[in-house]
Amino acid sequence: MSMSDGLDSAALRKRLAALEAQGEEARQTIDELKSRDALKTQFLSNISHDLRTPLAAIITHAEILREGMLGELNPRQHASVSGIVNGGQQLIDMIDEILTYVRSASDQVSLVRTEFSITEVVDQVKLLNEALSAKKRLTIERLNGDDLPPVYADRDKLKHVLGNLIGNAIKFTGDGGRIWIKFARRGVDGDELLIEVGDTGRGIARDHYELVFREFAQVDSSPSRPHHGTGLGLAIARKLVELHSGRIWVESELGKGSRFFFTLPLNPPRD
Amino acid sequence: MAATILIVEDSALVTDAFALLFIEAGYAVHSARTVADATRIGKEKAVDLMLLDLTLPDGSGLDVLGALREAGRAPRATLAMTGHTEPELRQKCLDAGCADVMVKPVPIRDLLRQIERLLG
Repeated sequence: MSMSDGLDSAALRKRLAALEAQGEEARQTIDELKSRDALKTQFLSNISHDLRTPLAAIITHAEILREGMLGELNPRQHASVSGIVNGGQQLIDMIDEILTYVRSASDQVSLVRTEFSITEVVDQVKLLNEALSAKKRLTIERLNGDDLPPVYADRDKLKHVLGNLIGNAIKFTGDGGRIWIKFARRGVDGDELLIEVGDTGRGIARDHYELVFREFAQVDSSPSRPHHGTGLGLAIARKLVELHSGRIWVESELGKGSRFFFTLPLNPPRD
Repeated sequence: MAATILIVEDSALVTDAFALLFIEAGYAVHSARTVADATRIGKEKAVDLMLLDLTLPDGSGLDVLGALREAGRAPRATLAMTGHTEPELRQKCLDAGCADVMVKPVPIRDLLRQIERLLG
């Protein structure tokens, strides 16, 4: 072994030891970040649960008043108390959205699959959103799907996905706009279902296609933004679609509208 | 005589709201905040219907139902209340003998209708 070889291998050993130390440090940092993240998730879960309880009491009291159980209300009093009930309900829905996210993020969600008609679920979600869309004179149409076979999936979770997508479409489409839901079979044997929720709304810039699916991300996150929410709707939709081994994405043009797509295997393995 | 409802719930805020509702609707009301209290009251008083929160400081609401059934003092009907809808949890309540599982906040019209049906 030459002198220079000896020096080189000593230097190499030193370098290797330094790298190993760095690797160990990085592992420790990752572990620490993971445990902090878990703590935060637990905190979110606890606080959401604790917020729900007093809110439930407020809503129940307001409902007792609204129903006239403590005496007849005049129309203005009725409208005011209805405002409390509706505002409280909206808050509960947001808290539930956070809880759903926390559970899906920490892998506490499992699928309960049954066979059902996806078009029926779409029609149900449409119906639930009728009052909201009528307020903005929006039309919501299901363009096809009557001939689709039943899907084998988690009905509540897909309803949640469709609810979030259609809810967003309503939120971000101006008065008199159009929203549609469309189906297509894909794949070699048509064994994949493609579901599209489209709108003629404000659209999303290409740079934000990925961002919108990130948790807590809102394209406009300023306090003065016109649309408020948890910023979790699409992150949850993505988790729930991925749990079904599907994919979700968006195609959009600013000012013209957005088309959200997700896929669903039509013949998933049965347990 | 008015039918008696036992509210088992650890939040006084929620209990107060339900107590007000049930008294206005013509029922007699008892309330308990823990498994231990609820089991004691359930054994001592004649309870027709139990409104049961599942998360209590000293255990699960279903423990109350279990203890009362064992003592032969189960109410005519038990309605479970939960903060969230999980199919597994729902099935667990039904298996334990609850007539139904409702998600809080339960719309009061639905709640009163359900109670009337169960006690009718």
